[in-house]
Amino acid sequence: MFSTIFFHELKYWLKKPAFYIYMAIFFSLALFISAANAGIFDSLTVTTGSSRTVNSPFGIANLFISLTIFIFFLFPSIIGVSVYRDYKSDMHTILYSYPFTKSSYLFAKFFSAVLIVTCVVLTIGIGMFIGYRLPGTNPDLITTFDFKSYFNAYWVFILPNILLFGAIVFGVVTFTRNIAAGFITVILLLFVQGVAESFLSDPEHRYIAALADPFGGAAMQYYTRYWTVAEQNELHIPIKEVIIYNRLIWLGVSSVVFALVYRFFKFSQNAITFSLFKKSQGVRSTKRNFGGITRVNLPKVNFDYSFLQNLKNTWKISNVEFKYIVKSWPFISIVLVGLIIVLIALADLGNPFGTPSYPRTWRMLQGGGAFVIAINICTFLYAGMLVNRSKIAKMNGIEDVTPIPNWSLFLSKFIAIVKMQMLLLTVIMISGILFQLYKGYYDIEIGLYIKELFGLKLINYVIWAFLALWIQTLIRNPYLGLFVLLVIAIGIPFLSLAGIEQPILKYNEGPGFGFNDMNGYGDSLGRYLLYKSYWVLGGLVLMVIAGLFWVRGLPHSFKERIKIAKSRFKAPVAITFLVLLIGFLSLGFRIFHETNIKNESYSSKEREQQRVEWEKLYKKYQDVAQPRIVSVKANLDIFPKTRDFNGSGEYLMVNKTDQVIDSIFLNHNSYPSTFEFDRANQLVLEDTLYNFDIYELKRPLIPGDTMKLHFTVKNEPNTILRRNSPVIENGTFLNNFQLFPSLGYDGSNELRDDKTRKKYDLPPNALRPHPSDSSALGNTYISKDSDWVDFEATVSTSEDQIAIAPGYLQKEWVEDGRRYFHYKMDSKILHFYAFNSARYEVKRDKWNDVDLEIYYHKGHEYNLDRMMRGMKASLTYNTENFSPYQHKQLRIIEFPAGGFAQSFPNTIPFSGDAGFIAEVDDSEEGGVDYTYAITVHEVAHQWWAHQVIGADVLGATMMSESLSEYVSLKVLEKEIGKEQMRKFLKKALDDYLTSRTFESKREKPLMYNDGQGYIRYQKGSLVLYALSDYIGEDVLNNALKTYVEKVKFQEPPYTTSIDMVNHVRAVTPDSLQYVIKDMFETITLYDNRVLSASTTEMDNGKYKVDIEFNVSKYRNNEKGKRYYSEVGRDSITYLPEGKDKPLLSVQLKDYIDIGIFTEDDIDGKKKERVLYLKKHKITEINNRLSIIVDEKPTEVGVDPYNKLIDTRSDDNRQKIN
Amino acid sequence: MKLVIKDLTKTYKNGVKAIDNLNLEIGTGMFGLLGPNGAGKSSLMRTIATLQSPDSGSIMFGDINVLEDKMALRRILGYLPQSFGVYPKMSAEALLDYFATLKGVASKSDRAALVNEVLEITNLSDVRKKNVAGYSGGMKQRFGIAQLLLNSPKLIIVDEPTAGLDPAERHRFLNVLREVGTNCTVIFSTHIVEDVKELCNEMAILNGGRILKHSTPSKAREELSGKIWTKIIERDNLEENEAKYNVLSSNYNEDNTLNIRVFSDQLPDADFKSAEPQLDDVYFIALRQDEPVLS
Repeated sequence: MFSTIFFHELKYWLKKPAFYIYMAIFFSLALFISAANAGIFDSLTVTTGSSRTVNSPFGIANLFISLTIFIFFLFPSIIGVSVYRDYKSDMHTILYSYPFTKSSYLFAKFFSAVLIVTCVVLTIGIGMFIGYRLPGTNPDLITTFDFKSYFNAYWVFILPNILLFGAIVFGVVTFTRNIAAGFITVILLLFVQGVAESFLSDPEHRYIAALADPFGGAAMQYYTRYWTVAEQNELHIPIKEVIIYNRLIWLGVSSVVFALVYRFFKFSQNAITFSLFKKSQGVRSTKRNFGGITRVNLPKVNFDYSFLQNLKNTWKISNVEFKYIVKSWPFISIVLVGLIIVLIALADLGNPFGTPSYPRTWRMLQGGGAFVIAINICTFLYAGMLVNRSKIAKMNGIEDVTPIPNWSLFLSKFIAIVKMQMLLLTVIMISGILFQLYKGYYDIEIGLYIKELFGLKLINYVIWAFLALWIQTLIRNPYLGLFVLLVIAIGIPFLSLAGIEQPILKYNEGPGFGFNDMNGYGDSLGRYLLYKSYWVLGGLVLMVIAGLFWVRGLPHSFKERIKIAKSRFKAPVAITFLVLLIGFLSLGFRIFHETNIKNESYSSKEREQQRVEWEKLYKKYQDVAQPRIVSVKANLDIFPKTRDFNGSGEYLMVNKTDQVIDSIFLNHNSYPSTFEFDRANQLVLEDTLYNFDIYELKRPLIPGDTMKLHFTVKNEPNTILRRNSPVIENGTFLNNFQLFPSLGYDGSNELRDDKTRKKYDLPPNALRPHPSDSSALGNTYISKDSDWVDFEATVSTSEDQIAIAPGYLQKEWVEDGRRYFHYKMDSKILHFYAFNSARYEVKRDKWNDVDLEIYYHKGHEYNLDRMMRGMKASLTYNTENFSPYQHKQLRIIEFPAGGFAQSFPNTIPFSGDAGFIAEVDDSEEGGVDYTYAITVHEVAHQWWAHQVIGADVLGATMMSESLSEYVSLKVLEKEIGKEQMRKFLKKALDDYLTSRTFESKREKPLMYNDGQGYIRYQKGSLVLYALSDYIGEDVLNNALKTYVEKVKFQEPPYTTSIDMVNHVRAVTPDSLQYVIKDMFETITLYDNRVLSASTTEMDNGKYKVDIEFNVSKYRNNEKGKRYYSEVGRDSITYLPEGKDKPLLSVQLKDYIDIGIFTEDDIDGKKKERVLYLKKHKITEINNRLSIIVDEKPTEVGVDPYNKLIDTRSDDNRQKIN
Repeated sequence: MKLVIKDLTKTYKNGVKAIDNLNLEIGTGMFGLLGPNGAGKSSLMRTIATLQSPDSGSIMFGDINVLEDKMALRRILGYLPQSFGVYPKMSAEALLDYFATLKGVASKSDRAALVNEVLEITNLSDVRKKNVAGYSGGMKQRFGIAQLLLNSPKLIIVDEPTAGLDPAERHRFLNVLREVGTNCTVIFSTHIVEDVKELCNEMAILNGGRILKHSTPSKAREELSGKIWTKIIERDNLEENEAKYNVLSSNYNEDNTLNIRVFSDQLPDADFKSAEPQLDDVYFIALRQDEPVLS
């Protein structure tokens, strides 16, 4: 019987168009994405330049597995429905009396459906295979076909997932006889998986997470998380330990699920119902069989078919529909799960370093973003359910012959959907408020909740509701409709890959809005609402079409529906349709006109070509001698209300070269500007596209001679659609690069990927010059047209605001209702300054004779003391260890948002969301006090950037960012103690190891880094912190002090990383010289692990600890390939017992921490205490040590504090029982 | 008011001509539409009830052009489809209130009174709070009548309402239908001849999308008076008799003999006895004449 049913099922599917539609959809999806990844759209959009191979085993596994997740949404209608179908068609009444066994029935149903799903999966594989190889893809991104990659992804990950989720959905739909239930199950499983993932994201839970992830993704990541680019390109996913355990666990679970289905399935005529309450006692029931003749005497009632009554009816019907939605349990379960997710998101939101921010209302609203998917899925699903509701209930025969007009029925469904959306938005509001109350935070902005949720966000969902009703009306199959809608909603953002970048072409796209405490929504609302109006019109056009195709009665074909639609397209409808369509198109045209024709707008492809052309046209002037700016006088009028600025300035320039300069190369921006030199000249080239002008001087500038440039710059007026100025209403933050001109060619925007450059006939990108190139040390990495300048600025703003620029306030006055500030710097600074303006409160303090000020937004008082302490601590540490502070004043200035702070001379703009509203928990278990840490870091930049600035060569940021971060760690260490530093270091290590896997170009050693954040911040801080541990903080700081003395405020040639490292090298003992090489000159990683540890109590009451551990060291090249040997030095090896592959290592003469710990019980909390911590010289991979300690140890570790870079930091320690 | 159907034709996508150039006039009172399964009864009724559009032809009810002005007909139409479902988890009262809204009863109190009355009429008052989805077949059909009454219809169309009802329910249903149909046009389709005999003052026999006979039950029987003959035969002689006579029906007797009825203008044979014509005979004669002729 098995085969009969099995083949019957297969035949059923092979005859169904849906099967081929699914295959076509997945084939094209796979084809599109893989081809896009392989650069097929490079002629339309930006070049996909990367050192990553897209069809490496790793790449294939990732794409294949993630595309299969979409198939889960088909499970309810393929696997789930296989048994339910027999009920639905009432076949079961006959079928279940036939002589076949439960097992052959269930197995045949299940496996035939699994086979069908597998066919669809196969089309994904084929789609990917073809997609990678379509003509037009970039062969550099593709490697040869490897069957094993596809095969492994399929049988290790995809097939078990199909079996598991298939079995669950099969059970759910079979027992509930409800496809929606199966569907919701899939969504819930995906949700739950996401929640579990975020719960277990902590590195310490990775092993559990790897086993617990039913998709197996976490198990794969367990091994591949820190794979470098080279490893990602070459290695196969290792099918070993954790992955095998995970797969076995979940295969086991799927067998159990299937066994349960088998156990509870009965060939019965009724669905199995689950009830929370015990069945009440049965009662014998009989009906009345006699009587029943009555006079029909209907009461006289009024019938009202007026438009107004129809409107009222519409509302009434929508209530019936709304009640249906709210009472249906798919909805209830989505809401419940959504609520849990929102609460988790709120708790987890923006917690850098485990430190939360205060639950401001706008943050609660951001957290509600996790609910977006729930609202959209409900909209898509219930649009289908409502449109088809009477058809599904077979009530359409009765309903359709009532005199209710079509529009009323259709509109009532729409209103019900909107009501549902509002209910869901209320859920966000309530959970946000609950969370705030739970946190004891009572500044609840109800008005903001209502405005954002029921105003701004609702429009967005309503526009989706239009589309959903349209699709569901046309398709008339709620689940197919839902699938199509999901594909559309998920697919729209991907259209950019194919070069469709204009938001007016992508349904419900357009600029978003953002909120912050200082500036509210700023000017984002106008743009947002304009685009939403456009899409509302577009959505209404769809609604009219849907109304035309609304099914009343029983049309038998789509052709007939078209005929009916045509006949309905009469005067009022046709006019409405045309009016809406014209409105939609003309608003679209207006947007297009303003963003593309009246103003320039470039596609990313065009921008790429411009970068090429810029380089081709002007790079030749890179080395032409130019004067240097030595003095700046700036004027800037900021108009917060109209968001305009009007600036002017004067550069005093000197010819510091020994050549005669006959032309000035002026590089400016596209703002309306004027330029005037104080010496006769002729404009010989004016490039209005790239804003690059060449002025030929009538009388050349001889060496040592000076000249002046006077310029003005202002913005074009802002419009709703276009922001023509970076000024905002409250909290403006501008810098000179945004506004003011510079001299000479700017190479910072050149294309960097060599393969892309080759395509455009550009020579390979040489990166920045190597620090050993003595001819490249003429510029700092901040500025190319100046060294140190005198600075003076007059800034004006509206009367209620304070405007700030670097320097000391000389004079403040009010004139014509505007407030003016004149600032002047008393010493020379880098050509790098900012302007801020906002309604500020000021907090003042003093450190020695330095004035400390914090300009903050009223209401953001939370962490001002912390910041003051940070400023003082950093000033103290830097002054004591390196050199005096060069200014008499230090200011922190709040700006609205962005999550960063930036250090300008005596002025530190600090964003409101990066520390001002942090809710720091000062207990030991609390997260890192990052407000304090950032403050210390930024203040340290007054030395490490504003005193010592590297030449614009590789490695320059080590002397600014890495050293500032080092200072921050050291100050923090003094504040919280060495033991607490581990959480900071582990986070830095994890961030470094994770970020480097995304490197698309090349990773260089720290002292030659090309400016990547993960090297200069995370690796830099780890390395310098470890170095201070190796050679001693004092020794290191003394070396740095000497270095600062030598190079601070120097004129070109500027210092380099080589110079700094040499200072450190000079104070490093011979035995540790290898550390300099490992940490600065190469990319070196360790693989340290404790193999075994045991302890025995000795007669004298002391404890002997035996430890066996491995130490292995390797180096990475710039692509991340491992090397265990070096030129002239072989690797060392060790063959562990029972293994056939030896472990390798670079030759070792290394000093590594060996630690032994015990635990103390302090107030019921376990606290670790060090019994032994000492560096041991290690020369072999495999080592055994016996150490005697005074107390009973609980844990041992090799490099227990993770000072060294190690991709597996959790095996550095082991507990002793 | 009169329902006039002219030259109505409907062909389905699969090529079946469900209604074939049909002409029919129906006056006030109960009109029985008799026909075998698949005769096109439901198609015809759905077409009159505005649920589907014909390929050609016209339907007038009074001065309402049904195909042009569907809304006008829907206001005075009561329709009970052959099979129908209801929204789950909704009580009879709530559903009827919903339908009353759809049918244009504006005031809440009007709706309440109306719903109350139709529940009384159909004897569903006791179970008004119960979910209709859980009703038995008979109750559900009565609910169908209840919803149909909500707009005091002038034209009532009921499609095979008695199929599957037990005798008590069937009687009850027909009685209610009779009551409501006193002053309006009721079209009532069935393949059970008894229904028509008991209820209708006018009838038509439909097969293959065509009207085979349009008459009243009594007149149709009268026409056959003296033309129906009966005889008891052995089972083995059936084929022989069928070849010789126009056999309309054959029924077993308890002793395994067969009772055959034959249509003939004169006494076919001496052993035949004259029989009182029945509506069944009318039905079978009409169908017999429509039987495809084997050539």
